[in-house]
Amino acid sequence: MDFALQTIDLRKAFGNQHVLRGASLQLAPGERLGLLGPNGAGKTTLIRCLTGRTRPDSGTILLGGRPLEHRDQRHSLGLVPQELAIYSDLTARENLQIFGRLYGLRGRHLRQRVQWALAWTGLSDRAGDPVGRFSGGMQRRINLACGVLHAPEVILLDEPTVGVDPQSRARIFAMLDELGATGTSIILTTHQLDEAETRCDRIVIFDHGRVVAEGTLDELIRRTLGTARHVRLRVHGTVAAAPRYWRRGGRADELEAQLEDVSRRLPQLLDSVERAGHRIADLAVAAPSLNQVFLQLTGNNLRDA
Amino acid sequence: MIWTVVQINLRRLRHSRVELLLSFVVPLAFFSIFAVIFGGGIGGQDSPRIKVLTVDAAGTARSAAVLARLADAPGLQLFALPPPEHPDGKHPDGKHPDGERTDRERRARQQVRRGEVVVALLLEDGPEGPAARLLADASDPIAAQLVSAITAQAISVTARSTIPPTPPGKPAPPGKPTPPGTLVSVPGEAPAARRLPAEAGLSAPRISVEDVLRGDESKPAVSMYAAGIAVMFLLFGASGGGGALLEEQENGTLERLFATRLTMDQLLLGKWVYQLGLGVVQTTLMFLWGQWVFGIDLLGHWQGFTAMTLVTAGAAASFGLLLATLCRTRNQLNGLSVILVLSMSALGGSMVPRYLMGEGLQRAGLWTFNAWALDGYNKVFWRELPLAELWPQISVLVASGFVFLMAARALAVRWETG
Repeated sequence: MDFALQTIDLRKAFGNQHVLRGASLQLAPGERLGLLGPNGAGKTTLIRCLTGRTRPDSGTILLGGRPLEHRDQRHSLGLVPQELAIYSDLTARENLQIFGRLYGLRGRHLRQRVQWALAWTGLSDRAGDPVGRFSGGMQRRINLACGVLHAPEVILLDEPTVGVDPQSRARIFAMLDELGATGTSIILTTHQLDEAETRCDRIVIFDHGRVVAEGTLDELIRRTLGTARHVRLRVHGTVAAAPRYWRRGGRADELEAQLEDVSRRLPQLLDSVERAGHRIADLAVAAPSLNQVFLQLTGNNLRDA
Repeated sequence: MIWTVVQINLRRLRHSRVELLLSFVVPLAFFSIFAVIFGGGIGGQDSPRIKVLTVDAAGTARSAAVLARLADAPGLQLFALPPPEHPDGKHPDGKHPDGERTDRERRARQQVRRGEVVVALLLEDGPEGPAARLLADASDPIAAQLVSAITAQAISVTARSTIPPTPPGKPAPPGKPTPPGTLVSVPGEAPAARRLPAEAGLSAPRISVEDVLRGDESKPAVSMYAAGIAVMFLLFGASGGGGALLEEQENGTLERLFATRLTMDQLLLGKWVYQLGLGVVQTTLMFLWGQWVFGIDLLGHWQGFTAMTLVTAGAAASFGLLLATLCRTRNQLNGLSVILVLSMSALGGSMVPRYLMGEGLQRAGLWTFNAWALDGYNKVFWRELPLAELWPQISVLVASGFVFLMAARALAVRWETG
């Protein structure tokens, strides 16, 4: 199978600091891949290798099955950086025209793509306004449009929804859905785990310069935490000793348990609590989340250094 | 609360080296530069000596004595005219254009026009001894007056020491009707000469001053100031243009630009061309305004103006890009550009004419391209020299622009490799 994008054993070191240590990932045509990783994991360097801004020490990048060697091949890639990398003193139309030209669009094709982008972002009626006067969400949409104007096959999106309200976020993902429907592949780098959980077809967790886990959300959960549900129960009063099947929670009135078969085992567990003389105040059953998977795989330590 | 606000600003000042530099070091540096120019420069050890070309057309013992006396004057730097191009001393085509009696005078006039000397002193034989004609460049009005006064003194003193005093009661010889203290009415004479008393039977020295460049008529001195201001603002504009590059780097736009088909060469050249065009328009506008309001003859000198403006704006654009690539933040660039542009403008003559500076400072000024640009504009508007005479200025500006641009390209590699 020809992947839209594939990296094989990418390695990069800056002096003694090994930033990429054999990064290998695959992106299928039309797939939306969530790239997660703590700060300093090497995601930025990986993206810079893909865009040609950093040359890897070794390894291969295949775009549409062909080694990515020449600058012109990168025309099939679109980059949408986390920063609002647009000219705020220019109008929305001017920004789109400029980035279109820089991507090699000319004449009627450029005009058509600019019109398309204005309609796609829902900013046709604000095309003549300076971008600096737009709301954060509108600026994000223009920022996104400037990176996809040339209809790339693969889009690299770095935190496209950071700092925007839920409505704008929904709008941006609706725009990405439109692109996905046309077969565009997307790598979405984000720290918003719920976005990766709900908006991506597959997830790659990246740490220490390599892929530490990849798959669908269910696959990741099954491999790292298992399928057991987490049950949390609160009682009136305090718990002196945990009843059978339970362990004490983080609070004095809290109990926790892991259940594989909730529908069959939960009545049994609740019965054990009541038989221990406690009155149940609240009950919550939660499936394992990507957040737990992420912390399980990358640890709880801060990566500020 | 007020104290808290004061503390915020004090702490921010303490953490900002650029602001500290601008607040406390730059004012001292500029004070020192201007103190050297106006304090030590004039009348000090390094005071500017006036370049005077001497032509001894009289060829007498007395004229030689006058020249010997002038050579001892501390404020003058004398140059003798090289041997004539034609043995008979006549003009090459045999004609004597108006006001130019000999080939030597023509060459002296040419040297003044080119700015190689400030004054040419022609000593001619008159009925009462040497008479002096000064061919002066009025762009330095003080020099002509000073040379006139020193020459008058030298002629008088020489005359007193070589001619025996007139016996008491003997009438003054014919042609010396002026009693002591009478003003000599010679058209075009310098005031110092006119006030020199005739002593001991000697008339006041006859000294006439001619403005070779006729500055008051068609070439207002404002053309020199227009060039000075234009070059300074070209530099400020260029450093601002370079700042846009740092702004793009800081907000991530540069990263995105390089993800397109754009290369670093194209980016730098694009910015250079834009800045060049902006500089040309800016300077043209200033001179058009000068023509309209102050009478600068721009259209009459459009060829020289175009050549000088293109090379100056090009060099300034390269300089701005170099500054931007030298700095890591826009804040750094602002500080550095203020320091460098003001220093270059002060030394290069944009603020104070370089002839007022000491010789050391004048030499130092040649390390700034303000000086070369101003010399070029000066040749165009003041001296009215042909385009070919601009080659030293154009060469230096083109070369420095090229070197700056190449240095900027080399430093910009860090943005390519991240």
